[in-house]
This record gives sequence, C-alpha cells and structure tokens, in this order.
Amino acid sequence: MRCCYQCLFALTVSIIEHLGWFFYDREEIGKSRFNSMIGLIDRERVDEELYDDYESAKAREKRLAKEARIQEMQAKNAALRKKVKEPAAPKGTKGRGEASFFRVTCKDNGRGMPHDDIPNMFGRVLSGTKYGLKQTRGKFGLGAKMALIWSKMSTGLPIEISSSMRGQNYTSFCRLDIDIHRNIPHIHLHEKRDNKEKWHGAEIQVVIEGNWTTYRSKILHYMRQMAVITPYAQFLFKYVSDAADKNVTIRFARRTDVMPPVPLETKHHPSAVDLLLIKRLIAETSKQNLLQFLQHEFVNIGKSYAERLIGEMGPDFSPKMAVKSLTSQQIVRIHQLFRQAKFDDPSGDCLSPAGEYNLRLGIIKELHPEMVATYSCSPQVFEGHPFIVEAGVSLGGKDVKQGLNIFRFANRIPLLFERGADVVTRTALKRINWNSYKINQTQDKIGVFVSIVSTKIPFKGTGKEYIGDDISEIASAVKSSIQQCCVQLKSKIVKKIQAREQQERKRNLSKYIPDVTAAIYDVLRETAHQQASKKKKQYEEKDTELLTKVSTRIVTEKTLREKLAQHVEQVDYEMALEYATQSGVSEEPREDIYIRAVEGAYDFIDFHSPVFVFRLFS
Amino acid sequence: MADKKKRRRADPSSDDEEDYGGGGRKPLPFKKRLKADSVILSELKDLTDSFRSSSTSEKTLTLSDLDLSSTCREVCDLDLSSVQDTIERLILRVAQSILSGNGFAFDVPARGNANQLYVPELDRIVLKDKTSLRPYSNASTVRKTTITARILQLVHQLCIKSIHVTKRDLFYTDVKLFQDQTQSDAVLDDVACMLGCTRSSLNVIAAEKGVVVGRLIFSDNGDMIDCTKMGMGGKAIPPNIDRVGDMQSDALFILLVEKDAAYIRLAEDRFYNRFPCIIVTAKGQPDVATRLFLRKMKMELKLPVLALVDSDPYGLKILSVYGCGSKNMSYDSANLTTPDIKWLGIRPSDLDKYKIPEQCRLPMTEQDIKTGKDLLEEDFVKKNPGWVEELTLMVKTKQKAEIQALSSFGFQYLSEVYLPLKLQQKDWL
Repeated sequence: MRCCYQCLFALTVSIIEHLGWFFYDREEIGKSRFNSMIGLIDRERVDEELYDDYESAKAREKRLAKEARIQEMQAKNAALRKKVKEPAAPKGTKGRGEASFFRVTCKDNGRGMPHDDIPNMFGRVLSGTKYGLKQTRGKFGLGAKMALIWSKMSTGLPIEISSSMRGQNYTSFCRLDIDIHRNIPHIHLHEKRDNKEKWHGAEIQVVIEGNWTTYRSKILHYMRQMAVITPYAQFLFKYVSDAADKNVTIRFARRTDVMPPVPLETKHHPSAVDLLLIKRLIAETSKQNLLQFLQHEFVNIGKSYAERLIGEMGPDFSPKMAVKSLTSQQIVRIHQLFRQAKFDDPSGDCLSPAGEYNLRLGIIKELHPEMVATYSCSPQVFEGHPFIVEAGVSLGGKDVKQGLNIFRFANRIPLLFERGADVVTRTALKRINWNSYKINQTQDKIGVFVSIVSTKIPFKGTGKEYIGDDISEIASAVKSSIQQCCVQLKSKIVKKIQAREQQERKRNLSKYIPDVTAAIYDVLRETAHQQASKKKKQYEEKDTELLTKVSTRIVTEKTLREKLAQHVEQVDYEMALEYATQSGVSEEPREDIYIRAVEGAYDFIDFHSPVFVFRLFS
Repeated sequence: MADKKKRRRADPSSDDEEDYGGGGRKPLPFKKRLKADSVILSELKDLTDSFRSSSTSEKTLTLSDLDLSSTCREVCDLDLSSVQDTIERLILRVAQSILSGNGFAFDVPARGNANQLYVPELDRIVLKDKTSLRPYSNASTVRKTTITARILQLVHQLCIKSIHVTKRDLFYTDVKLFQDQTQSDAVLDDVACMLGCTRSSLNVIAAEKGVVVGRLIFSDNGDMIDCTKMGMGGKAIPPNIDRVGDMQSDALFILLVEKDAAYIRLAEDRFYNRFPCIIVTAKGQPDVATRLFLRKMKMELKLPVLALVDSDPYGLKILSVYGCGSKNMSYDSANLTTPDIKWLGIRPSDLDKYKIPEQCRLPMTEQDIKTGKDLLEEDFVKKNPGWVEELTLMVKTKQKAEIQALSSFGFQYLSEVYLPLKLQQKDWL
C-alpha cells in the first residue's frame, strides 16, 4: 500500500518540475460503480462460505479474542509510554470485497511529452534516460511505471495519459497497460485529439485500490511539504467522495515565480565510481586512448594528473593504449587506484538547491510562523559526491503542533516515512541544545526544515525514505546548518523577551510592593512597640525619630507603600527611556506578498545566488 | 539457550549456599586472617590514646590566626536579642531609604562558586567577602528582595517569641510568595550570612535526618540519652545542637556511615559492643545537625573518625562535606566541619583486595567519571595523596561499588569480616 503512494508521489513530483499549476484529484469510487467501470455486473452472494471474508462462528470467536488481547496490550503499552508500531489493521473486519477504489488524476501545465515516446515512457520498466550524473529527483524512472503496475495489480484497469507540448495543435491521448513478463507497453489506444484550449502539459489517470482514511494525513502532509519546497508552483488537491462531507479541497497558492535553475549534468568523480560504472563508461566513451579517457570522462583529472595516474598503475599501462582493450584485471587496478589516490573535491556547481529565498518563502507561505531563519551551507563532499544542506527553523505558526515539526527534503522531494531513523530527525532531537537558543523543545512550535541536494543521496533502507545517521559529513553539516538558523533566531528571541520584560516590568515591580512593605512595617511596628514599652535601645537620632513616627502612626504601611510605588514609577520611566535610546524605534518587519506580473511574458535572464535572484529584463 | 539461561540463574544462589551461607561449610573469605578481637582492641586502644594526646597539644587554628590575602567572611553564634537587634537596625536603614524616595536594596554576601576559597591550613572551605547588591527596583531581583524582607520579618518574630520552627514551617507561613521551599531555604542562608550569624541562631531548624547509635551518653534538653539502649534504629540527632550536652563515651572511635542500609546492619549486629564505637549516619548528604553533632562529639570526646562510604565519586563528595564543608554553607564552615576524617572504606583498591565479584561492581556512567575527574581537581582531595591515588584508580578502572556489594559474601560480611579486618590492618587514609 505504501509503495503505491510513493509511486503516485513520484508521479506528482515529476510533473511539478515545471513552473506552473498542478492539479491532483482523488475520487473515491464505490464498489458497484467500480464494477460497472470494469464491465462487471453486481451479483448477490449466494454461497457465503465461498468468500474469503466469510467468518465461521468459531473464527469470529477467535478473532474477537485476539482483538481484545491486542487492545489490552495497547492499553498496557500506552500506560508504560512505550512506543508501539501502528498495529496492522485487523484482517477480516474488512474483506477484500469492500476495499475502496480511487481514480487518481494528475494534471499540470508542464512541457508535456512527445507523442511517440509516451508508450515507452509509461509501459516499459527501466527504459528511463536517467543515466548521467546529475542531481535528480528519481533514479531509474520507476515512479510512474510503479503506479501503473499498482493499478494493474489491484484493479486491472489501464492508465490514461493525455499530453500536449507547447505549440502543438493536437493532444496525445494514450490508454495503455504493461505486459509485465515481456516488459513492453500494451497499448489500448494511442491517438491525436484536438487541442482547443491550447493547453500544454500532461494529465495522467489511474484507478487503484487504496485506503484513504489511514493515509489521508500522510498525503496531506506530503502536499504541504511539497508546497514548502516549491513556492513557485500552485497546486490544487481535491478529494471527491460519494459522501459530500468527506470531500477535501486544498489549494496551495503560488508565492513567487523564481525557480531554482535546472541541475547540470556532470562527469563522475573518480572517488565515486564503482567497477561496473567504469566498465560502462569505457563501453560508452568516444575517446580512443586511456589518457584521453581519464582526462575527459572524469572531473578533477587534468592531463598531467592523468599521466601520473597511468604511471602509477604499473608497467602494463601506457597513456596511448586503447581504452576499449583494457582487460578486467586492468580495470580492477584502475578502480583500486581511484579508491586510494587523492583527488580534488568535486565542486557543487552542478547542484541546484532550493535556495534560501525559496525555502523561506515556502515556510512563510505554508506555516505563517512568527519567526523564521534559513541557512545554506557551502558545498561539501561525501564519497566523491558533492552535497549542499539547506536548513530553515521556524517558530510558531498556523497548524503547527507543539514541539519539533520536521520537514525533510532530499533533492527537493519531501521525505515522508521512516522519519525516526533519519539524520535530520536524530540531529534535531538529540544533538541540538534548543535551550541554549532560548527555544523550548517541548512547548514551542518549532518547524525544522532541512533540504539536502546531491548527485547521490545516500538513502538507507529499501525505500528512498530516509538518509542514514551514520554519515558524519552529512550529520555535521545538518547540525551546523540548524545551529546557524538557531543563532539567527536567538537574537530575535532575546529582543522579543526584552520587549516583553519592558512591558511587564512595571507590573512585576509593583506586584511585590504590598508584600515587602507589610514585612518591613511589621518589623518597624514591633521595634517601636518594644522601644516604647521596655528597654530603650540606643539608636541614631533619625532612627529614633522614625520609630516615634511609627508609634504615633505618622508613618504607616501606607506611607511606605506610596513611597516605594513612586520610586518604582521613576525607575520604570528611566529604564523605558534607556531601552528606547538603545533599541531605537523598531517596526514590525513588513511581509511582502507576491503579485503576478501583468499578462504578457517578458524576456528575462535570472542570475541566481543563494539569497537573492537578479532578474535582467531585455 | 534455555539450558544456559537456567544455569546462569541457578549459579549465584548455589554459590551462596556453598561458600558463604548459613551452613558455613566454607569459611568466609579472609576470615582466617582475622586475629582475636582482643588483639585488635588493644591496638585500637593504643591508637585512640595516642590520638588523644596529640590532639590536646594542638590548638585549632581559626581564620584570624592566618594572614590571608583576601578577607573572608565567617559567622558566629549570636544570641536571640542580638539577632533581633541586627534585624531591627537593618530594617530601620531600609525604611529610611524608602522614605527618602530611593527605594532600597539588601547587600547580600555572594555564595556562588567564585566566592569560595579552600584554605589548606584550616582544611576547609571558607567564604570570601564579596557581596552583591539586591535592589528592589530591578525586574530580576525584585522577587528575591521581597522574599528576603519577608524572611527577615519572620525571623524577627521568632526572636521576639523565642521559639524554634522548622524550615518547612517557615515555608508554609507564606507559600504564595515563596512558591517553592528551595527558594525560602536559599534566602534563609542568605539572611544568616547577611546578619553574620549561624543558621541555628535564627531559630530555624531542619527536620531530623541523622541518627546515632553506640557507646554514647548525652543529654538532650535535660534528658539523659544512652545510645546503646535506643533499639535498632538509634537516636535521632536533635536538630538544635545547643540543647545537647554532657557527652560521655567509652568508645574507641566514631564510625561514620554514608547509608542507612549499612547503618542498620551494624546497629542490628551490635557492632559497637564488639568494638566499642559510636555509629553515625546522615542517610546520604549530611544535614547541618548531623555535621554539628559529629563535630561536637569529635571535639569533646577526642575520638578518631573513620568513614565508611560507597566507592564512587559521591561517596568521596559526602566525605568531603563532613570534612571541609559544603559550598552552600561555607560561611559557617568553622562550626560545621570535622577535621581529620579517615577514609576507611570502601575504597576503589578494596574492590580487588577483597575480591569483590564482578557482578557486584557497576560501570561508572559518563557523569560519574566527570564528577570523579572534577573531584581530582579539588584542593581538599589533592592535599591527601592517598585519596588522589584511590580516586585516580577509580577513574581509571571506571568501576564503582556500593557498600552493599560486600553482601555478596553474605549479609553480615561487613560487620563480621570486612570492618574488623580493616581495623586490624589500620587500613585507612
């Protein structure tokens, strides 16, 4: 089930790449409607025992006992505050016959796909073109195909694709499914249709079996994360069900039209290649000899360095030898040397981070925090792959729960599952001392946003769901980036606390006046009383005078109170004056809003920096 | 697997039965080395006598005897009327200041870490004379200033009525203001320090915590107490030391025990009858009353003090509080500290010497090790090379053990073998 959502997410992701709008629609389909869709007539069950979800009396008894036991265990665990994994939904309570079916439609205004490529792009696994080294969202181009396979497995219905490219006067329509055994697309219909609206983009529709109630919050969270990292996109999510009260419509508005640049394709770094990759590079290279191969197929190997490397490989290597003639043993030797030799670190120029500007806008747009800080670290290297960590920390906001709210992104895709083991979660939970930045880890509404981009994201586990905590380069970059954000926030928080103290000072100082004057007056009265009645003690003249005033009630508690209140007033006034001279007149920061350019496209070039974009109109 | 588990569970119990249990088929380890009690006793007697003769000749140093570069603050016992008088004069000054329109402030001696000084000649911590101003008209000190005024007023009342109350009582007179007993307790120490008197002079006492049992007879508020006839629990140490007097004893030494468990073992076994001694415990961190009582016993009876604490950094820390005083109460260290306490056990070197089994030793946590290393930097540890050696060993082996670890040889091993052997060997530092 989870896999299915991943696929659909991958689908949305590949579409969102383009600046534009995006429409995501889920429609719940009842079983009867579904049956009619696939041309099956509803039949009443005759032989109940034939069905998988039929329960014999004995089986029911067993199931009830088991459920009671599970509930009891859960209650116990809850009491012990143990973390338990979500129990699998009890089987048997909902038979397969009652599963929900959904039609999922994704539509965008992207660049679309060429008419003839569509069948292979959707109907053939591992037909992707993502083989160069580049910061990519996916890896093998499996996402959309997995969605198709999921629909084939659960409903048997084909996928429907409409697409049109800019300037095309037709729309491609294709209905296909996949022949899994032969790995070829099975085309039902592939035709050109009229494009009256001059629409360009792609629309994909699948019908799948699924579980909305369980994964609803995950899907919405994913959408929100997506909106944070792509403030330049506008998208609409609609959930349509038979019951009108269950319908959901969420619109994520656009906040800017500045997009991160397209990541550049780069050559491999010698420290990052494996044996298979070297073999493939040799097979694909157009270079003739070894020297040219080393010099041109890898980054950070210059001509003289290539010569030195060849010299180090041994006597049976020479610069002029044909690269395609290398034996397996010789390739192993090259690989060994690549592992051991020292190379300059790859540069981060080929990466395309979201940019502090966009991250900040995304956070403000989606969370409306009271404060936000962002930071982008300089490119760093892990095993020959450059990476950049960007972080944002926000405080307060709408729909944010107390404590840490962690938003993780890898190559600008939101990560949703297995957050517990992730390097970002671990770092934020355990290695950041929030207290030292005057942030309360349990009380404050903290948003932590970390986006990591790299030519290779070192995912852990089977799904691409989390980045392991064991890579010290990444862990320390994540930690320092979050800390940098916190440092920025701290000064703001301190200012805020000061301002609050400023407001509350007079109240605080005045609050204790009755307590303190009562205590002092009580001692004075007792002293005066003893002075009058018993042994006379020697006091200074003014003290004796004061004691007399107390006994004759010229000085009372009220006198003390008034005098102290006057003093507090004066001190408060002086301190307010001092505060004002120190901090100056401060205004609340104004928040900018995005206003779309008036219709009509301008020609411009964007110059990107991590913190701003310079736009040159021609 | 199941087999292994079973064996492991069965092992220790069978060991106990064979080796050290009630059957006594095998002797307790090291028991053979014990000489007859009479031999040990006579040696101890010589020791006590020599201790007495040496201590009478010495006069205890005081701060005024030393020529220290920085002036130090020390308090003394004041009688009620002078405490009352000091408070009255202080309040009169405050009232004058308020009436002249200047608000007011208390000048409170700083009791922070930076203001503490260890004086090696005295072997105790003293307070330097730095003070900090506590003005009323400041958002950060207004609360403390108010609490200080309130405590002064309450103490003033106690003086007039000449009664004692506990710290808890004091806290409950104005819960709303004090909020938390630690706050009223801290200010109480500030007040004592500010007035220049001991905390007992303020007529505020802490609840009874320490207990004493053994060869000691003293009068408590006029009643004669015989600590050999106090049952197993012993006599609670009275919170105000001024009503204790007429101490008599035929003990040869005072045994200071860190914990209640070891104390109960020794009291039940009537260890003080086998080797005449006085057994004292404060059940953990010592309170003021126990420290005053120990000092009084040591000064009046002129007995050596031997300490039995856990083999961990906190054991040594407790030992140091008895010996050199705590930082919190350093202003009164002259009255609270007992000089020349010997570290009898359990010392890190004992773990191997007495072959304490591995399962009874605990690995030190990082916090423990840090505390241990910090202690090594403290002057009161450094002055005793033996202690430094033991503590270094502890930090190096990263193992700690409680007094109860000895129970692995049987519950009574502590009173029957370990302590007598230690006494016989005069194995203390």
